Amino acid sequence: MRVDNRVLPLRRTPPYIAPRFTVECHLFSECDGSVVNCSENFDVIVIGGGHAGTEAALAAARMGKKTLLLSHNIETLGQMSCNPSIGGIGKGHLVKEVDALGGAMAAAADEAGIQFRILNSSKGPAVRATRVQADRMLYRQAIRRRLENQPNLWLFQQGVDDLTLEGECVTGVVTQLGIRFTARAVVLTAGTFLGGLAHVGSANFQAGRAGDPPSISLAARLREMKLPVGRLKTGTPPRIDGRSIDYSAVIEQPGDSPVPVFSFMGDAARHPRQLPCWMTHTNRHTHDIIRGGLDRSPLFTGVIEGTGPRYCPSIEDKVVRFSAKESHQIFLEPEGLGTHEVYPNGISTSLPFDMQVKLVQSIKGLENAHITRPGYAIEYDFFDPRALKSSLETKAIEGLFFAGQINGTTGYEEAAAQGLLAGINAARKTQDREAWCPRRDEAYLGVLVDDLVTRGVTEPYRMFTSRAEYRLQLREDNADLRLTGMGRELGVVDDVRWVSFEAKREAIVREQGRLKATWLNPNTSLNALPEADALRVLGKTIEHDYSLYELLRRPDVSYAALMTLPGAGECVADPVVAEQVEIQAKYHGYIERQKDEVARNAGYEDIRLPLDLDYTTVRGLSGEVQQKLNQFKPETAGQAARISGITPAAISLLLVHVKRGFSGQKKKKSA
Amino acid sequence: MENADTIAAVATPPGRGGIGVVRVSGNGIKSLVLKVIGYVPEPRYASLSKFFDEDGQVIDQGIALFFPAPHSYTGEDVLELQGHGGPAVMNLLLSSCLSAGARMAQPGEFTLRAYLNNKLDLAQAESVADIIDASTGEAARCAMRSLQGEFSNAVHIVVQALIDLRISVEASLDFSEEEIDHAHHVDVSHRLRGVQAHLEHVLASARQGSILREGIWIVLIGQPNVGKSSLLNLLAGEEAAIVTEIPGTTRDTIRRTIEIEGVPLHLLDTAGLRETDDAVEKMGIARTRSTLEKANFVLLVMDSRWGITPADQAILDSLPAGLPAIYVYNKIDLLDERSLAEVGEGGSEIYVSAITGAGIETLRQRLLEMAGWQPRSMGEGVFMARQRHLQALTTAREYLENAAELDRGAFQPELLAEELRLAQQALSAITGEFRADDLLGEIFSRFCIGK
Repeated sequence: MRVDNRVLPLRRTPPYIAPRFTVECHLFSECDGSVVNCSENFDVIVIGGGHAGTEAALAAARMGKKTLLLSHNIETLGQMSCNPSIGGIGKGHLVKEVDALGGAMAAAADEAGIQFRILNSSKGPAVRATRVQADRMLYRQAIRRRLENQPNLWLFQQGVDDLTLEGECVTGVVTQLGIRFTARAVVLTAGTFLGGLAHVGSANFQAGRAGDPPSISLAARLREMKLPVGRLKTGTPPRIDGRSIDYSAVIEQPGDSPVPVFSFMGDAARHPRQLPCWMTHTNRHTHDIIRGGLDRSPLFTGVIEGTGPRYCPSIEDKVVRFSAKESHQIFLEPEGLGTHEVYPNGISTSLPFDMQVKLVQSIKGLENAHITRPGYAIEYDFFDPRALKSSLETKAIEGLFFAGQINGTTGYEEAAAQGLLAGINAARKTQDREAWCPRRDEAYLGVLVDDLVTRGVTEPYRMFTSRAEYRLQLREDNADLRLTGMGRELGVVDDVRWVSFEAKREAIVREQGRLKATWLNPNTSLNALPEADALRVLGKTIEHDYSLYELLRRPDVSYAALMTLPGAGECVADPVVAEQVEIQAKYHGYIERQKDEVARNAGYEDIRLPLDLDYTTVRGLSGEVQQKLNQFKPETAGQAARISGITPAAISLLLVHVKRGFSGQKKKKSA
Repeated sequence: MENADTIAAVATPPGRGGIGVVRVSGNGIKSLVLKVIGYVPEPRYASLSKFFDEDGQVIDQGIALFFPAPHSYTGEDVLELQGHGGPAVMNLLLSSCLSAGARMAQPGEFTLRAYLNNKLDLAQAESVADIIDASTGEAARCAMRSLQGEFSNAVHIVVQALIDLRISVEASLDFSEEEIDHAHHVDVSHRLRGVQAHLEHVLASARQGSILREGIWIVLIGQPNVGKSSLLNLLAGEEAAIVTEIPGTTRDTIRRTIEIEGVPLHLLDTAGLRETDDAVEKMGIARTRSTLEKANFVLLVMDSRWGITPADQAILDSLPAGLPAIYVYNKIDLLDERSLAEVGEGGSEIYVSAITGAGIETLRQRLLEMAGWQPRSMGEGVFMARQRHLQALTTAREYLENAAELDRGAFQPELLAEELRLAQQALSAITGEFRADDLLGEIFSRFCIGK
């Protein structure tokens, strides 16, 4: 074999990247593309520059780990490949948590947001959620700037073909050019790129996202590793040129005023110019067109095998499954300030292109619409997340972490949340520290990962608030109070955020203390509450002494109204603090009750089950239970209890078995 | 391992015995002790105490024993209440402990806790798994039996109504942007009252349906000369002899009720079930046969010298298939020595003498066992299973009351949703788990969700 000793030029990507990255690589290569040895070692390598990959890379680098982010295409880092919006009910909760842990998503959304809304604003704080319409380009720029300015983070544009292993530990990756990088931990965030197959009508082609190549060789490699693989499907609508839309025929949907912010560090004054969204509807004619084209729909002709999400069906699915419904709403979402392109949310389709044109033009306001990009469905591989630990590390290969859509989830927010967690835990792996796995009662992050690793997925997994049994305590408004302290400990929260957070936390505690210590009484002694004021604010007079805090706990007494009572003293200046004090008071009883529930269930969470435990040796377990547990190897008794079909009795038997193991070991030691 | 909750169970086997014991275990159970007996007894001393129900009424008087952690069977605080045996008292005592904050123990749970708290050695622990395994199976079978017929249907109606309500409430929270008919305040109030009404109905019928009240139905087969009456009188013993004697629908059929340990046993005498050409008698027999449909098992009494007669066999063959049977061979006092030596104990065959009383105790226990009161220490019987179901229903009712209370105030759907979630969680003890994913599945199948 001829040895070619060229040095591969690894250039710093744009000039403002902080650390210098010069590597001697020796290419032992012919046209067969065999391996290049690269002397550069990293702590953490992240494969993929989508929402999971960027948060993973940023988090590991924030923790001081030397991190490499490998992407097919640096131009698409932080790309929103589906609809141009971030947040929503359940999803917004995740974004706030990522933000509370120093992540990029909320801040980037603040920089790129062109329409902000608080959903469920008429309902209680637990289900209120932020949703942002984002300018795709501004969002990409905001993410890119963060990546390029992040110390300890290197970017490199190369597809990854292979992972290198030593025994059952990952040691690094090999790129398409055969360049080898080493690291103790690798985070794979390959999104829909693994085995991607896009469909437009009967035409299909191998693809990652539209325009990007799929990672076929890596997919094949992972299949070889015998990681359990499944197939899912997702889709997008055709995009429309906004100049061809008749805006006078559609309904305007303005953003909220005052304009909300997403990040705890955000500032509404720094948002770009705001735009409205628009709404229109499909009609009977549209549905007739769709029904007429079903024989050419890959969904209905059986060409598409993957399972799509039930909550985000294609328009053909909606028309067939809910045939009685004569109209479906469509949101026309602007793609950005610098483009005319519009994303018609609600008509995701894989019908042939001629049908797409007809169906779009049958809709009110879109009669003359010009389609700029066809809609398509994409099928892709995902890995059964039950093969993961709750750190997102694979059980089979040490140091290999999976995050994002590859785990069967859908959505930028779900991806970002997993990426952040995987990045943190990959970094902790290189520090030989135990993984951080937030519990279900601590964060939506915990709910997300626990659902994935204990229940697996049967359709793309999306977050909803109803998935969180401790919903009342997992709110957007307290994401920082729940997580920023932990984030600081983990090393992902910087000084600026920490100082601001501490000030807020202290102000809340101070105001709560003041309200608890300020008493009103019904008599005409000191701090008496005049009857007229009592009736005005409380609706009735008080019959004995009450602290302001007790009065605030009443459902119909607001903080603002309470502060108008004589003797209530001066209210806090920061509305965020006032809001937090009020919410905590209102939910107090419920939160206490949920805490009891958490405490009742907590015992099992601390009982570790060895991953190499052979469940056929556990006395008394039924064959079915043994098989299930052997297949998925839960990490704790708590996880085992959440696997479907595992009974309390089976858990009792496990406890006995595990304990017997421990006392057996003790005996051996003392003997 | 720290267990946050307190468990309670009747520790003595149901059935005969002057004394019955209710045992409670948990970390920090003093407040429960105060509620149930009014004071905290001196540790490890037997104290004569009154036992109170949740309204402060005296249920019974007996011995209370308090074992503070860690010096107790389970290693946690343990309270033992020794009262007068018998199902009614034990049931009231247990209910009192439950309303004071305990939950019903899972099968084998006391032993499990003892083991986990290092109160059992390795050798003893070997048997823990077997106990859990065996008692779980038994409990599952009993739960199945408790959940049959009317009760099951009624529970199902409650659960379905609750799920329907939750679908609306949860959809209005997670999918408020969608074009679906969201739960209106009025609508929710109305449907919530519906769920509550269904639940009250189930609770009422479940209480009526308990074995304690209603007893079980036994088909009694036996020729006139085999000694049925003397046997039954002996069985009923000193507690209560024959309670009723109702003429049957035919001249010869008789229904009578005896009580053993307070459990009513209804005996359908099939002496009248014979071939006949008489039209009136035929109608009567048809009616008798329909009552047989609800029989729990068959009691066949024979003269041990003759065994099953062709007449007995004919009646047996005519009964619904799969009905369990107890074969009672009476008059063993009349057997010669050789035949007597062959008499064994076992299975469904019981040898008795109504004259000497031999074998009567065995028969009594077997009957109680068939009624769901099994004397084995590990199981809990249908009665306890039903008790468990009642507890689940009662807990669900509390959450629904909270929900109704909320509903009367300002509309706070997320709090309402929380109460409904907890109500459903309580009912899942009966119906099996119903997870968030199941709920979402229902929502997606009902509404067209998704942009």
